[in-house]
Amino acid sequence: MGLLLDIVVYGAVQSGIYVLLSLGFSLTFGVAGIFNLAHGTFYMGAAYLFYSCMNSLGLGLSLSLVVSVTGMGLLALIIQKWFINPVIHSGISVMIITVAIANFLEQVVLCTYGPVDRNLNSFIDKKLLVLGTVSIDAQRMLALGVSIILLAVLYIFISKTKPGRAILAVAQDREGAIFVGIDPLKVFFLVIFIAAILAGIAGDFIAPTIGARPDMWLKPLTMCFAVVILGGLGSLTGTVLAALIIGYSEVIVSFALSSYMSELVPFVIILIVLAFKPSGLMPARQSQT
Amino acid sequence: MGKYVYFALALAMLLVAPMFIKSRVIIDLLILCNIYAIFLSSWDLVGGYTGQISFGHSLFIGGGAYTAGLLNYYFQVPPYVTIPLGGIVAAALALLIGVFALRVKGAYLALVTFAAAAVPVTLTAIFWEYSGGDDGLSGISPLSVDVVTRYYLSAALLVLCGGILIFITRSSYGLVLLSIRDNETASMAVGIDVRKYKVITFVISGFLAGIAGAFYCHNQLHVGPAELKPAFSVLVVLMAVAGGMGTIIGPMLSGYFLIFLNDWLRFSENYKMMIYTGVIVIILLVCPRGLYPAIASGIKRVVHK
Repeated sequence: MGLLLDIVVYGAVQSGIYVLLSLGFSLTFGVAGIFNLAHGTFYMGAAYLFYSCMNSLGLGLSLSLVVSVTGMGLLALIIQKWFINPVIHSGISVMIITVAIANFLEQVVLCTYGPVDRNLNSFIDKKLLVLGTVSIDAQRMLALGVSIILLAVLYIFISKTKPGRAILAVAQDREGAIFVGIDPLKVFFLVIFIAAILAGIAGDFIAPTIGARPDMWLKPLTMCFAVVILGGLGSLTGTVLAALIIGYSEVIVSFALSSYMSELVPFVIILIVLAFKPSGLMPARQSQT
Repeated sequence: MGKYVYFALALAMLLVAPMFIKSRVIIDLLILCNIYAIFLSSWDLVGGYTGQISFGHSLFIGGGAYTAGLLNYYFQVPPYVTIPLGGIVAAALALLIGVFALRVKGAYLALVTFAAAAVPVTLTAIFWEYSGGDDGLSGISPLSVDVVTRYYLSAALLVLCGGILIFITRSSYGLVLLSIRDNETASMAVGIDVRKYKVITFVISGFLAGIAGAFYCHNQLHVGPAELKPAFSVLVVLMAVAGGMGTIIGPMLSGYFLIFLNDWLRFSENYKMMIYTGVIVIILLVCPRGLYPAIASGIKRVVHK
């Protein structure tokens, strides 16, 4: 019983982080029709920026969070304007240029910080007892809490505010949105900004528990791929559900087998989806070549 | 007819290089260039020519390398056996993955192959006692102790694999691939079994990459997870695209250029990879179609003035 509760709680934490990460990736695809392979870089970059703010610049916790996350938002805007927009007509070119940037930025981080993992201090250095028997870092519960809050905030933003509804409109029908006066390019900027913010927050909150490495953008990116293939495009619900499935699968495999095996989960899920229902996940939007 | 002059010229340069270049270091680099030329151009067959962007090339390169490495390390199988076997294992992998992955198109294919490429590295970590884990396996038999012999072997391999690739693309098979790239639906409409062509091409590409990977293993006397990681797949794609997608020749040339660039950057060990990846980004921005098409059209414009 204790094991089951462990899985419930740890799975929730893992899924929460995955929701934050994959929402942005899925949203960018659903709205702009592009796969931004530099998405993982926001996650990694925020963690490193946060580290620098805390340790080298001596900024406090809150300020470091704000600076690192906003920094990633700005990075997203720069990438969108100078690298993605010139080739936005070709999905393949967007993938190539964004992965090239992600590669380059990984090297920048490697040069700046060295290959050694950087450790960040937990915001709350305690262990909690959750649901009676589950011992877990307070930092992870904090991450879960933040995920839930942000998910709610995002939902309200998208369904109730004007910019949010503009995002929905462009996702549903780009031409129709243009007809009613929405500029899709502006919406794309907004979406990638939000994606970077979410990924950055995920990076900041989970990095204290796993450390920061220059190549930490690759595995989460693979996970985002699995979420998109499993959950379908753009819809909040599909993405959240897929993230939950993948997060819990990883934790279950981790407990049952080994944490190495849990790394195979995204791929196995993709394989299962492809084997049984690949057509169900073909995008309504034409795939770019 | 003029095109064959260039091929003959390149072949001649390839053959006589060791007579003029005495530096062992440069010959070693040229061997690496030849190997990478096969890595990149074999990817281009599927990626550029058929239009199926795959981030899974490390599966075949690394798969071939580990096949050769494991066979040689544990069973002392000689290189001239392990190398073809490496190609066959890689081809089998390509068949297995291709049958599933090629069900999806475009960006989805890229995602799937990327995820697939992450699997073998995890396997080498799980079975680290056999695979050597992060350190890999060392003490692999060399192809030859003489560097010039190794060079000619690598050149022969390049001519063979490159020849296969060029022959395929210049044949009617190549035309089918181009039509698949340009319009899959129309291709199906004229009766082309698109799926079959994609899988077969994928297997050919994997076979060539596997052979080159196995050769690489024997050249380096070592096999490790570096060539198996998705990050390596990414590098292969970027290097090939920088050369020119769909040209086969372009990736070979960019392989040469980038290997030499990498070595030249040795003076700054700290910033080497940063500059290297930065150069790739710049190439992609300035020459979106790749270096080879850009240079070729540049030369054309100058010549026609």
